[in-house]
Parts: sequence; structure tokens; C-alpha cells
Amino acid sequence: MNDAFLPNDAARSRRPMRFLAFGVAVALVVGALTIRLVFLQIQQAPAYEALAEANRTATAALPSTRGVVYDSAGRPLVRNVPTWSVKIRPADLPYSQREAIVARLAELLELTPAEINLRIESNPGSRFDLARVKNDVPESIARIIAEERLKLPGVEVVVESRRDYIYGPLLSQVIGFTGAIDPGQLADLEAKGYLPDDLVGKAGVESQYETALRGVYGVQEVERDATGRTIHVLQTASEPKPGESLVLSIDLKEQRYAQKALEWGLKAAGVRRGVFAVMNPQSGEILALVSLPTYDDNLFAKGISDKDFQALMQDKDTPFVNHAIAEQYPPGSTYKLVTGTGALADGKLTRTSTVLSKPFVQIGPDKYWDWNHTGWGPLNIIEGFGHSSDTFFYQVSQMLGIERLAYWAKQFGFGAKTGIDLPGEVPGLVPTNQWKQDTFGQGIFPGETLQAGIGQGFDVATPLQVLNAYAALANGGNLYQPQVVREILAADGTVVRGFQRKLIRKLNVKPVHLETMRLAARRVSTIRHTYNVVDMPIVVAGKTGTAEFGVKDKEGRLPFHTWYAGFVSKSGNVTKPDSQLAFVAFVYGANTVGNAATEVAKYYLQLHYGIEKDYRIPSLLVRGNFYGD
Amino acid sequence: MGVLRAEPARLGVASRAVGSAWKAFDWQLTVYALMLMTFGLVMAYSNSVHDGTSPFSWGTTFTRGLMWAAIAIVAFTLATAFDYKWLKTFAWPLYGVNIGLLILSLAIGDGVGNSSRWVTIPVIGLQFQFSELAKILMIIVLARYLSAGEARLDSLSTILGACLLTAPVVVLVMLQPDLGTSLVLVAILAGMLFMSGASLRWLAVLTAATIACVPLAWNFVLHDYQKARLISFLDPTSDPQGSGYHLLQSQIAVGAGGLLGKGLTNGTQNQLDFLPVQTTDFVFAILAEELGFLGALVVFALFAALLWRILSSAWSARDPFGAMVGAGLAAMILFQLMVNVGMVIGIMPITGVPLPFITHGGASLISLAVGLGILQSINLRQGRAEW
Repeated sequence: MNDAFLPNDAARSRRPMRFLAFGVAVALVVGALTIRLVFLQIQQAPAYEALAEANRTATAALPSTRGVVYDSAGRPLVRNVPTWSVKIRPADLPYSQREAIVARLAELLELTPAEINLRIESNPGSRFDLARVKNDVPESIARIIAEERLKLPGVEVVVESRRDYIYGPLLSQVIGFTGAIDPGQLADLEAKGYLPDDLVGKAGVESQYETALRGVYGVQEVERDATGRTIHVLQTASEPKPGESLVLSIDLKEQRYAQKALEWGLKAAGVRRGVFAVMNPQSGEILALVSLPTYDDNLFAKGISDKDFQALMQDKDTPFVNHAIAEQYPPGSTYKLVTGTGALADGKLTRTSTVLSKPFVQIGPDKYWDWNHTGWGPLNIIEGFGHSSDTFFYQVSQMLGIERLAYWAKQFGFGAKTGIDLPGEVPGLVPTNQWKQDTFGQGIFPGETLQAGIGQGFDVATPLQVLNAYAALANGGNLYQPQVVREILAADGTVVRGFQRKLIRKLNVKPVHLETMRLAARRVSTIRHTYNVVDMPIVVAGKTGTAEFGVKDKEGRLPFHTWYAGFVSKSGNVTKPDSQLAFVAFVYGANTVGNAATEVAKYYLQLHYGIEKDYRIPSLLVRGNFYGD
Repeated sequence: MGVLRAEPARLGVASRAVGSAWKAFDWQLTVYALMLMTFGLVMAYSNSVHDGTSPFSWGTTFTRGLMWAAIAIVAFTLATAFDYKWLKTFAWPLYGVNIGLLILSLAIGDGVGNSSRWVTIPVIGLQFQFSELAKILMIIVLARYLSAGEARLDSLSTILGACLLTAPVVVLVMLQPDLGTSLVLVAILAGMLFMSGASLRWLAVLTAATIACVPLAWNFVLHDYQKARLISFLDPTSDPQGSGYHLLQSQIAVGAGGLLGKGLTNGTQNQLDFLPVQTTDFVFAILAEELGFLGALVVFALFAALLWRILSSAWSARDPFGAMVGAGLAAMILFQLMVNVGMVIGIMPITGVPLPFITHGGASLISLAVGLGILQSINLRQGRAEW
């Protein structure tokens, strides 16, 4: 070596060690890297392979088509139509751009940024799930959003099918609607395969038959890239099973007649709330079910605005409530069916035995008056029912006592849900000593027994319960479960479940007593208690009711509902239990001179039977205060 | 010693000088470097396939890689032919050029985010990362400084002088900001100081002082994203969608490769975009995924062999300048290997340090080529003190 370039001795002597040390360093580094590599690639390889696999594959749900709904004649009532929806996946929405994106969407979708933010925040799923922002977006807007995709990260435009309720408000009480899943329900539903942005039935048969209508989602394995976009489908693990369709027992034609009749009646009486329902007493099938006021379920299918929703929620006549099943009212004189039947069955009365119908019944200092304030003298059951004499039935109630009265009421189905296949039914109330003891700490007073016998006091029932009771009378003593769905069909039209009549109970009454009550119900018409119903070319038997409720007005008068429940004899001879049409009409707070419910029923029957002559008496629907029945 | 100074015959001095000189040309070094470069091209091919366009069309990663490779080979040849001793003469001007280029980068450079790492060369329109060149230039400058001041290698002043020389360059690089390259420069400094035979005592003191500065650096020097990278190294799951993302995804890629790998161009992490920075910093992940453990092992072996050859040249260099150049190169390559691969496989935090030869990038490749060329130039000229 050239000595001039020799380092100093100390440095020179260190050099070999330094080189050695460096060499060792190289060996250590390479060794450490190799060991780690062994760990990752050899030992843990399966785990990482799985992770790589998990990165790229995912299971995607394949939605099934939702079943549709037909009326009893096979007319479609609900369709699925394709629609554009805009959704957001919050995890993909960059925080720094969120305001700008929401503003742009608000502009395009005609929502406020606050509304959009609310929909993102209230999404029941996780941040990685899609949140529904708007349904039923016009195609042009949807395409603009799709084109601006790169400027709107996290926003997705999807084609979905949405419900089209062809007849809207006409059938919304029966059909209901679908809507987004509530956060509270999500946990349960996810276990059944629901996705957080799925729609689920919320009311009516959409809700009651959700499982059948929804079908079963299929499963696909897809390969996705790092943005979550599906590159291609690896395999379809299972095909979706389309939802089953429903055939209602409701007949569109009958529903239209019923709606027309009720609308007319309510308008003429100047009130907004009422019910009209029609049933075939031989089977329990509901042919028409109208509850007013109602709502248009298409508003929900398209995505209802908060304004409209609040308006509906705050309407004091509660359009969301199906008044036929979900509200209970004092049945008034229609309840005399229970009292009369009970007395006959218990042997307190016979067809010919009489009771004196006094002007009033006195209990202690209290007088309980008949509606005509004079009475009719001695009456048998048929005449008593025909005149709807209150004092007659007060005395019969006293003969029965509250407990027997309650027994017969429950026989007829009062105080318990009918089990109709719609959500939200309430059971009504049949008072007993035990009930009063539990609720108020005392037993039933004698005066209350009187009230109970004429459908006032603590008695409350749904219009459907009243209808079902009269249907049981009409068919000879079989209380059937009302049904709105006749059949369930598979997607290819095969019948999955046909109609099955369901007997709740056979009334514990001898047929002859029911025959007596049917004659009594016919007497109501022939005695002209229902005016010109008897003049119609059909044999109608039934019972009207005027039920007081609520708070007295300044003149000391209580408002009242009007009822009319009855049936049409098939053969014309009411002793035969052959009726195929039973109905109930109910007008809330009618306060009319005449019985508004009867007018509604007359109109319906005219329409149904194609009776040309108009038997309606509009002057009866003038406001006045009509005490009685 | 005398036996090593065998004089060749006067006749045909030039030709025989050349002949024996070529015996000193380290073929192994060249071969290992070329093989590593080939791996780099192979990965560029895979990335090009992933990009969707035909890899052979103009402008893809692969064709650009081919072009840089060609340029690098030329640079290597030129550097080999060039008499390295001129470097010693021009060391200080080169230092000035280094500073100048770095200032230029800061002034007119553009890059990712606010960084100014790349300068676009006007006519050719290509982007050059001058900080890569800075590494080689620093090696040369430090080699000159340390070999000249060898007599005083025991004194603190020499060591401090080296640090002071390096400091401005490190600062300029940090301003770009480029944490990775600044760390490489520090590694080069440390490696060269160590290999120069400087007193360990002073080196230990210096190291302790540097470690003491770390909290200061953390609070005042590091940018947020750099801090985030370091934190997510310690716990990648703390932010799996953000800075921990790369770490997790690259480990998944590596692990998924298994023993034999998934085959070239078949890496799903690569093909499906799970590693966004796959052409550059994380290329080893793709290599490990596609070529497996065995492929990675081959690469490690090549690096080890390359480092051995570089150290060997440094050892047998009579000229301390040559030894220092070798030491600097070795330190640089070892550090970059450790940090880049370590980052990919999850035992080091994320820093923007390229894997020599394999990471796609012209400046890195050319700087390495020049550095190795200089080393070869040193090898060739050890037989003669004056040429």
C-alpha cells in the first residue's frame, strides 16, 4: 500500500473489526428480514391468504322480488315498479368534502342539507352500510348523479323496485305500506337476512304478511376491489326466492261501493271519521273494509316528506289508525243482541214471554229513561228489540246480572281480538266485577249493569267485533275469524295456502234462540225503526245503535256515534241462517237527526244490489241532537 | 507488501495495464446489480399488466423502466471509465452543486401534496428526484473529507466536521419534505464514520446526543402525517383505513404469497388496487406476493452478495477515498434494504425509502449505477497510484 495514504495506526487497526462488524450487520439485517418473512409467508400464510381472500371476496345479497297483492277477483292492487334511489355509504364520504357533497345532493334532489344529514345520521346500519337518502328519483337526476360519481364519493345511485299502490287511499288501510327499518328492529331483522337499507312492511297486509311477501334473498360471492366496487361475480351461492303474492278476500268493486257510501254519508253529516265493513258470514271473509279518514300509501312508497308526514300524524281524526279494528267505541244498542240472546239462552225469556217497557227504571235515586221517555207497554223480545226499548233491556240485564251478561258478550267475541290478519287490533272491553275490582277497586254497581246491557257504560267494542257478532247471528251461531287474505300464491301462480275458514267458537246457544234473534233483527226493519230500509227489494235484518260518549256540551247533551249492523237474507226468510252478506256502518260523533250509519248502509246496499231507486233520506243527516235508540 | 507492487513490463504497458485492470473489474458486482435490476424490471412488468395497458407500449411503467435501465447502464459504463480521482479534486464543487440542486428542487420542484421532490426536466419532460443524486454526491464529499482528514480520525473535530457537512443537505432534504431520504443520509454518515475507523467513543457520544434530540424532532420537525405513519406502525389497526392501511395491506400481500407466490401478475392485492403505492415504495410487497418466499429469498441473497462485493472492494481499496466510497454505498444500500423491506413486512414504520434497483425510479437507479460505476473505477485503478 502507498504509505502516504495509510490511515493513522489507531484507525488502521480498527478497520478490520469495522469491516467485520459491518459484515455481521448485513447478516443480521438479512437474517431478521428472512425470519419475519418466514413468519408471514410460511407460518401465517393461511391466515394472510384468507385475509387477502377476504379483501377481495364478499358475499352480496341478491334481493328477491316482493310479492304483489290481488283482490278476490284477481285484479292487481299492488305492483312493483323500477325506480331510482340515491343512497350514501357514510364510510366512503370523506369528511373534508362532506358539506360540499351534501349541498350538491340537496340541490339535485330538492331536499335541504339538514334533511340529507338527518337521513345519513339516522341510518340504522353501520357506517359501512348504505343509508337511503331519497327514493323515486327522476331518471334524469339519477343519471346526473351517476355521471358526477367521481365528485361525489360515497354516493350511490341504485335501481330498486318500489311499490305502486294502484288504488292508493282506497285500500291503504288494508294493504298498508313498506318503509325503512327502524333502528330498534334492525338487530332482529339482520339475523333474518335483512339489510339495513331494506324496506319492510309497516302497516296492513304488507306488515302482517311480510315474511311471505319478501321471499328469500339469494347469496352471491363477488370479487371486489379496494373501493368496494364489485368487479365480477364469482358464483351465485343461492338464487333468490321470489316473494309470495296475496289474494285478498276484499273485492275491489265492493270496496269502491263501501268507500263511496261512507264518504257520502260522512260528508252529508259533516263529520270525518267513520267505518264501513262487509263480511260473508258463512266464511268470515271480509269483502270490504273502509276506515275514514285515510291516507295515500303511495306517499310512503315514494318517500313521504316530513311535512306531509307530520300533517298526517297531527290530524285529530287519525288517518293512520284503522278505525275498524284499532279503536274501540261504545256499541250502543247493537249490543242488545248480546243481552237478548243471553236472556233466551239462560231461560230468562222465551220468544213469547214479555217484559213491561216502562218509561224509566229506577235504582235508588237514579232514573234510567227509555229513549222515547214513555215506553211501549209489555213487549216480547222481538218487539223489544224491534223498538230498541232501553227499559226492556235494562230489566233483562238485571235478570241476567253482569257476570252472565259478560259471559254472553264474550261468547259473541266481545272483549277479545278477533284475530283478523291485520296489525293493530284492540280487544275492546267487557266489564265484570273482577275487572272493575282490579281497575277501580270496587264491584259493578246496579246502574252500571243496566248501562252494560244497552252497550254503554264501560262497554267498548271495535266495529269489526260488532260485525262479527251479527255475522255469527246470521250464519246460525258460528263465530268465524275475519280474514282479509284469501289465498297465498307462489310466484308461478300455484296456490301455497288456500282459503281456510277458521272457527273461533260455536255459540253455546240453541239454534231456535238465534232464530228468534234473527226475527227480532228483521222486526227492526219491519217496525220502521230504520224507516224505509224495509221498503228496499232485499230482506235486511239488523240493529241500529246510538252511542253516547265523551263530554256534555253547554246544553247538557252528549255527542253520540251512530251504528247500524245487520245482514241480508239470501232466501228472504230470516229464520234460515243463509245470509251471505253482513255489514257494519259506524259514524263517529254523528250528532244527526237521523241515524247516519243507516243511510250509509242503505247507499251501499243500493250500489251492491244495483237498486236503481234511491232510498236515502238526506234530511236525516242534518245536525240535530237525536236521543234514543 | 512488496509483492503486491509487481510492476508490469514496460512493453505494452497500456494494453497490459488495461488487461490486468479488467481483471480487477468486479464482474460479480456487476452481475448481481444487473440481476437486481432485472427483478425491478420484472416487477415493473407486473405493474404494467395491472395498469391494464399493454406493458410494451410507450409510456408504461415497464417501458419507462427499460429506458431508465438503459440509461443506467450507460451511466455505469461512463462512471467506470471515468477516473475517479477527479472526483476528489472536484469534491467541493460537487458539494456546491448538490446544495444548489436541492435548493432548486425546493424552488421549482413539484411532487405529491406540498412536497417538492421531483423536478421536471424541460425538454425530455421526465421527472427527476434530485435527492437521490444527493445521496451519491454526499458519499463522494464525505469520502473526500474523511479520507483527507484521516490523520485526525480520533478527534472529535473530524467527526463534527463530517456532521456539519451533512447537516445542510439533510435540512434541505427535510424541507421538501422527505423524511426517508434524510434518514438515509444520516445512515450514510453514520456508516462512513464507523467504517472510517473513527473513535468509537466519540461516535457513541454523538449517537446518544442524536437520540436525545428525538423528542425535539418529534414536536418541532415532523409533520403530522409523518407522525401518523410512525404511530400506525406501532398499531396498524388504529387506523385501518388511513395510514395503517398500507401496513396491513402490504403484510396481507406478503403473507398471501406463501412459499412459491401466486405467480407473476397474479397478485390479487396488486391487481385489485389494494396497495396504492405499489410501483414505488411497496413494490416488495408485490414481489413477495407474486414470487413468494423463494423469490424474496433470492432477492435477499442478491443483496447480500452485492453488499459483500462492495465491502470487498472497499477492503481491497488502497486509496482510503475508495474505501470510504465503498463504505458509503454499502451503508446506503443496507439501510434502504432494511427500512423498505422492513416497512413492507411490518417491522419498520412507513418511510418513503426506495428499495434499490427494484423500486421504479430513474434517479434512484442512475445514482446507484453511478455509485457502482465509481466503485468499479476505483477497483480498476488500484494497481496504479497515478493514472
